[in-house]
Amino acid sequence: MQGQGQPESFVTISGVTKKFGDFTALDALSFSVREGGTLALLGPSGCGKTTMLRCLAGLETPESGFISIAGKVVFDSAKGINLNPEERGLGVVFQSYAVWPHMSVVENVEFPLRVRGISKEERRARAMEILEIVGLGQYAQRSATQLSGGQQQRVALARALVHKPALVLFDEALSNLDAALREHMRLELKALQDKLGFTALYVTHDQGEALGLAETIILMNAGRIDTSGLARDVFMNHRTSFAALFFGLNVIEADKLPGMTGTKFIAFQREHAHLSSVTDSAAQNGDLVVPGRIATRSFQGLVDEYAIDLAEGVSIRVLDGQGHFSPGDQVHVRIKAGNLFRLND
Amino acid sequence: MQAGTQSKEKSGWTWQKSLPLLGVSMGILLIIGPFMAGLVRSLLLWVADDPQVSLANYAWLFTDRRIQTAAINSLICGTGAMSISLVLGTSLAWIVSRTNVPGREIFKTLNLIPFFFSPYVGAIGWIFLVAPYSGLMQTTTATLFGGPVEGPNIYSLAGVIWILSLFYTPYVYLFVISPLQRMDAAFEDAARVHGAGFWTTVRLITLPLLQPGLLSAALIVFVTSAGLFDVPLALTATKGIRTMPTEVFALVRYPSDLGRAAAFGIFITAVTVALTLWQRAHLAKRRYEIVSGKGYKPRVIELRRSGKIIALTIEIIFLMTSVVLPVLALILVALSPLWTGKFNPANATLANFNYVLFEYSLTRQAIMNSLFLAVTGATIGVMISGLQSYYLVRVRSAFKSFVDALLALPLGIPGIVLSLFFLIFAIRTPLYGTLAILLIAYIARFFPFATRTITAMLSAIHPELEESARANGASWGQTMRIILLPLLRPALIAAWIMLFIIFIRELGASILLYASGTETISIAMLLLSENSVGYVAALALIQLVLLLIGFSLFRLTRAPVVQ
Repeated sequence: MQGQGQPESFVTISGVTKKFGDFTALDALSFSVREGGTLALLGPSGCGKTTMLRCLAGLETPESGFISIAGKVVFDSAKGINLNPEERGLGVVFQSYAVWPHMSVVENVEFPLRVRGISKEERRARAMEILEIVGLGQYAQRSATQLSGGQQQRVALARALVHKPALVLFDEALSNLDAALREHMRLELKALQDKLGFTALYVTHDQGEALGLAETIILMNAGRIDTSGLARDVFMNHRTSFAALFFGLNVIEADKLPGMTGTKFIAFQREHAHLSSVTDSAAQNGDLVVPGRIATRSFQGLVDEYAIDLAEGVSIRVLDGQGHFSPGDQVHVRIKAGNLFRLND
Repeated sequence: MQAGTQSKEKSGWTWQKSLPLLGVSMGILLIIGPFMAGLVRSLLLWVADDPQVSLANYAWLFTDRRIQTAAINSLICGTGAMSISLVLGTSLAWIVSRTNVPGREIFKTLNLIPFFFSPYVGAIGWIFLVAPYSGLMQTTTATLFGGPVEGPNIYSLAGVIWILSLFYTPYVYLFVISPLQRMDAAFEDAARVHGAGFWTTVRLITLPLLQPGLLSAALIVFVTSAGLFDVPLALTATKGIRTMPTEVFALVRYPSDLGRAAAFGIFITAVTVALTLWQRAHLAKRRYEIVSGKGYKPRVIELRRSGKIIALTIEIIFLMTSVVLPVLALILVALSPLWTGKFNPANATLANFNYVLFEYSLTRQAIMNSLFLAVTGATIGVMISGLQSYYLVRVRSAFKSFVDALLALPLGIPGIVLSLFFLIFAIRTPLYGTLAILLIAYIARFFPFATRTITAMLSAIHPELEESARANGASWGQTMRIILLPLLRPALIAAWIMLFIIFIRELGASILLYASGTETISIAMLLLSENSVGYVAALALIQLVLLLIGFSLFRLTRAPVVQ
């Protein structure tokens, strides 16, 4: 990630604060995206990620801060600059797709060219070209209401790309699709991004979507950046209890575990816990070994998910493929030292 | 016991089946009966006391110059009122639903008041305001600047259009405000971020998305304003300018020719029915969902200072001209012992109120009659409509969409035309000249308003609530009494108040059916307008108070106004 003012910075967000009444949606948020880069704003609902996207698009006005896109200052509270949405030259794919029901597919797609005063022939040709790319060429004359959810999503995508915007924003672009279609569209989006080379900012609550689409990820919490970095790094190296919880790890107060001192929380992946009915002889120094009792077991396909009660009211979740424990069994849980994250907030 | 239940099921004659059908049949009878009477009468011609079947009435209809003039005048009034109220209603709805104009929540309610007021009273109020030389505005201007002032001529088609526009603006407003409030904001946001400016977005996205609602509103306003009797009667009938409804009245009265009047009525009915059926078919094709449920609420537009002033000005002018000024004029006239175009506070008196409320038997009787008709009519109407709604929403039937269309027909038929048919139907029966015939005509003309209100709410009540009562052992009757009616109560009350309000102010359907002793408030105003405007104003204010009470109660039910 590049900081503000560095030459590689294509989209710069600096100190953006947005309040709704007493609620602070964005708290002096700063980050940047390089040209051709892909960034995902990830976080639970209410963390401010969609508000950030809407501030970028000009659909919300921040109280303070600075935003520039492709060398153009679109918002600067200090200088009183606030460009209208239509003056920012973006493409946006909305969560609800917002495909206009009173227009045909091709009319939807050529809209950005139409309002830019491009001749009918040229805009029709360019709309058809992008519709072919997203695989909707034969649907051009259909009414937008006759399309499935996945098809509407492609129309929204084609509309966001047809005028070759420098930056394309995606608001939960894939979350309304079913699982198989989502995976398909994710790969397609990635291929399109490689082909057309636009800079992309994804807003999502789905870690799979963020990891699959973006090279850098910003995990947001309560209007601030919790963790940011390369996708793999953010996913693998957890530095905060919020990030660990968000990615589905077990997070336990350290003083409730034996031998875990000098830190506030201990976190580990559900897959990294090893269960055994007798004391684990493979335990090495630094490993966490703790007794527990199986509370519930639920079938998850290749593995079972166990809820395990430890001492002091602590409950953890463990994925294990061995499959020979039943509710009520006493077990020993072991997590290797290398798989434990020591977190201080 | 078991066998008894089975035989009851087999007979097929359960309350569950028969009651809804009863409501539907009564509705159909109320429509078809008078229509058939009118149709038959229009085809009869008396030659030397012998009735003969003839098309002569229709032949006359299509050649008579008076009819053509009346039709053109109605077309002008309908188109004019439709255009103005479309612009005004959409603007008002947009201002209160999409901008941060100060007091928007209060304006949301205030904008509905003209919907509940009486257009006839509004027209009378405006006569007091701007009658040539003697209107309050003229006399005030004359006092301030000297010289007699003629001012705009309210006794003209332009005057009729003006009053109609004020009273039908809330119809458009109602049709547009709900989609404006519920529309997925992303539709407009998507246009903005992809390069469209504010006005381009309004033109290419917002208005086209509102089009189904606008089209419905346009048609309803056109049909009802072209067929409204009250306003042209008050403003232009005495000046020799007639529209279709006042021409129907003239055909019945001077000289009386029920055959020709019936032919004219059938023609008007055919046109309005054709228009409403076309609208149904057209809308069925074009209906699309503009609420995604996933988007943001529509963005409230932060108006600049100048924008706020413009929005407030539009709001205030509308409320002043539709409510405040005409009511103020009525109050001043009602308080004056003798109206001369000027109000003298020193002479202010309640004598006019005293006269119409306590001294004059005709007005006293008229108020009682109107209250009786409104209370009885609303009660019977809601009962019939409730049963119809149950049929339309809950009963499985192959004829449902046909019945639905049929039961909605009276919405478009002018009240005076329907009452003409009832007049033909009842003129040689003991019903003629009774309150009962007025009651029947009122219900026949206006029950669809109640049916719509109740149907809207019933559709939102999940059938499983009733099914679980049945599964737990309740009979259909018990289920209705314990489950459905309590759930439906807000809609039933709202529908009742709606009918009450309509019946209190009714004029068009009463004018041909009243007789000595069965005058209503509006009829009494009409009769008194020859003698003393002070009495008329006092009576109009009494009617407005009743309507205002109805309006306040209606707001208390929190029911939406359903078209």
